[in-house]
Amino acid sequence: MAERTADLTADRHGTRPDRSAPPPARTRTTRAGGPGLLGSTAARSLGLVVALVFLAGVAVASVLIGYQRFTLEEAHLAYAGYTGSDTDLVIRHLRVPRTLAGLLVGAALGVAGVLVQGVTRNPLGDPGLLGINAGAALAAVLAISVFGATALISYVGFAFLGAALAACVVYTVGSMGPDGSSPVKLALAGAAISALLGSLTSAIVLQDRATLDEYRFWVVGSLVGADSTSVPQAVPFLVAGLVLALALVRPLNVVALGDDLARSLGTRVWLVRAGSAVAVVLLAGTATALAGPIGFVGVAVPHIARVLVGPDHRWLLPWSAVLAPLLLLVADIVGRLVVRPEELQVGIVTALIGAPFFILLVRRRKVAGL
Amino acid sequence: MKPSDAWAALRPALDPARMPGLLSDLPGSGGRSGKARTALRPAALPAAALALVLTVTACGGGADEGAAGPEAADETITNCDVEVPADDPPERVFAAYQPAIEMAHALGISDRLVGTAFLDARVPEEYADVQAEQEYYENLPSREELLSHDPDFVLSGFNGAFTDESFGTRASLSELGIESWMPSPLCPSEDGQSDETIDPSTVTMEHIYDDLRDLGMLFEAGDRAEEVVADMETTVEGVTDTLEDEFGALDEMDEDDRPTVMVASPDDEGFGVAGGPDFATEIIDLAGGGNAFEDLDDGRNHPVSTEDVIERDPDFILVEVCCDAEMTAADASPQVEEILDDPVLANVTAVEEDQVAEFTFADRSAGPRSASAVETVAETIHPDLFA
Repeated sequence: MAERTADLTADRHGTRPDRSAPPPARTRTTRAGGPGLLGSTAARSLGLVVALVFLAGVAVASVLIGYQRFTLEEAHLAYAGYTGSDTDLVIRHLRVPRTLAGLLVGAALGVAGVLVQGVTRNPLGDPGLLGINAGAALAAVLAISVFGATALISYVGFAFLGAALAACVVYTVGSMGPDGSSPVKLALAGAAISALLGSLTSAIVLQDRATLDEYRFWVVGSLVGADSTSVPQAVPFLVAGLVLALALVRPLNVVALGDDLARSLGTRVWLVRAGSAVAVVLLAGTATALAGPIGFVGVAVPHIARVLVGPDHRWLLPWSAVLAPLLLLVADIVGRLVVRPEELQVGIVTALIGAPFFILLVRRRKVAGL
Repeated sequence: MKPSDAWAALRPALDPARMPGLLSDLPGSGGRSGKARTALRPAALPAAALALVLTVTACGGGADEGAAGPEAADETITNCDVEVPADDPPERVFAAYQPAIEMAHALGISDRLVGTAFLDARVPEEYADVQAEQEYYENLPSREELLSHDPDFVLSGFNGAFTDESFGTRASLSELGIESWMPSPLCPSEDGQSDETIDPSTVTMEHIYDDLRDLGMLFEAGDRAEEVVADMETTVEGVTDTLEDEFGALDEMDEDDRPTVMVASPDDEGFGVAGGPDFATEIIDLAGGGNAFEDLDDGRNHPVSTEDVIERDPDFILVEVCCDAEMTAADASPQVEEILDDPVLANVTAVEEDQVAEFTFADRSAGPRSASAVETVAETIHPDLFA
């Protein structure tokens, strides 16, 4: 798969002179959706650096803000001058893993959203909306309740399987009928399947009275469950998904022109689709295994990024990978503050913060430019 | 939409009002499950407020001689502000939840049970045989299923059974000729409500004794009730005497001599703990300790963060397990290990001193086993005195 993807990418680099010209493709892409608010390469790069700085700031805030407030000094000492104090332990074992989980899960969901939207040309494409997160969560809950899996590493495989199965079912249902698949049909199928899978998860969670509370976050996502054991276990899968996504950047730009045109330009559309599907399953499956089903980030962030940098996946992908964890961590921090000393799950907050943002976006841009 | 509304949809399948840190502390409800419910029925709010104002002594457990209305039966007991006729002993009793089931067995009326539901742990050895003969539901049956047993009385161990999501209010059952009862330390502010406003002054062992005497009168098992009360008093007095020999009068005991105790079950976002109005507080007090989360007073069960636990630094952690007819404290052993091995809890006194013990939710419920629970907790937190 990786080789073929590389091959595809090579195509777009124009290393094969006999292929018809890629440059028009790029101009078309740009024209189709507009260049975004940040038109020039310099502005986009600078903007990305600024966004990264913001992300770093929010990540630090996520370590410092919570039930107790810590200072930068204390956070630094937890690693530089570790004494085993309560502060050191909380920072090392609760705050930092939680923040890392936020970064990883956010990036995974943002990139997965870009891939789903790009490949299905569906403005509502989102691992959450298309039932992928719900499928992963259900499979993980089954693995835990039926097979007694406890470590992330032992149920993440089930999460992949659940994500893939859910995606297949949604795609099949969404493609039924005379006109084949359409964005609306896919979204409707996704909503229906999500609801079904979500209620199955709830049913299992409610059935198992004894361990009910351990399953709570499988219904609404949360970063609290992530700890210094589960986060490192998730990293390899997420890195694999991100690398695969990066390799698909150029072919995705071509597929955005439409299947026929993409084929005539020599792109193997099915391969791009398959590669994207694998990447989405890896990313969304692992994110769900780590933090439960978190909705909205995957659909909102790519749109926000598109407003800023236009539809070119070479920019869309990295921007989404930075903006999504930014949104997720801000949501998580807000969740820690609004109902202190208790906390609101991040999955609830992302919807609360993200929804108005998204409505504004839809009203301004009419969700065009795919 | 309030998140609690979303969660409300999940609730009916289980009764959150009684569960230790289970549904009751789902996100958004903040452990105040009753409030989430109230929010769903705005009309109930003014009524609840009125009831609060009018009801000075919210729910005294004792037999109330003078309060019977003109149309009431000659003999009644007052249970959570509900008049229950006591002149015609019930013959077909449905017992919901551990404390009610054990109450029935303790009073020797097991042969009048038409059904039992929702045990939290194994019943005490002496009731094992009579319980084995009962029709048993793992979860609470629906109102319809309950009515199919044609009961004339419903004993419930928790207030959540008498809500619209479960059996229905006690008034609605009474209309069908089915009288009802619940433990007085759990009286809600109003019939049909749940944990939101338990009067802390009712969370006492005396209220359990009064309950036993009330039910003894109602079921014409007064002698048996007195025996049970006497046994319980003996057990509790044994603990009190030992403590007072060492520390002086129990209610003047030095705070330093009272270890702080956290009754909790770990979950993936921290812990579910027993707060102030839970009967655990009374049990711990009588055992010569203090509930580390006593100040959490709006509801019995609360979700707390790991950081909160670290800050409060309890001397003992009683890790409770729940909700299976075969469950025993030993089933808590994996969670005890988990807590002892959790690096972030390493500085908590209970972990440092290896004072994390196995416990059951059943042992912190108000009922006939509460006296032995006092003894169990005392043995755990004052091992030198009770070894």
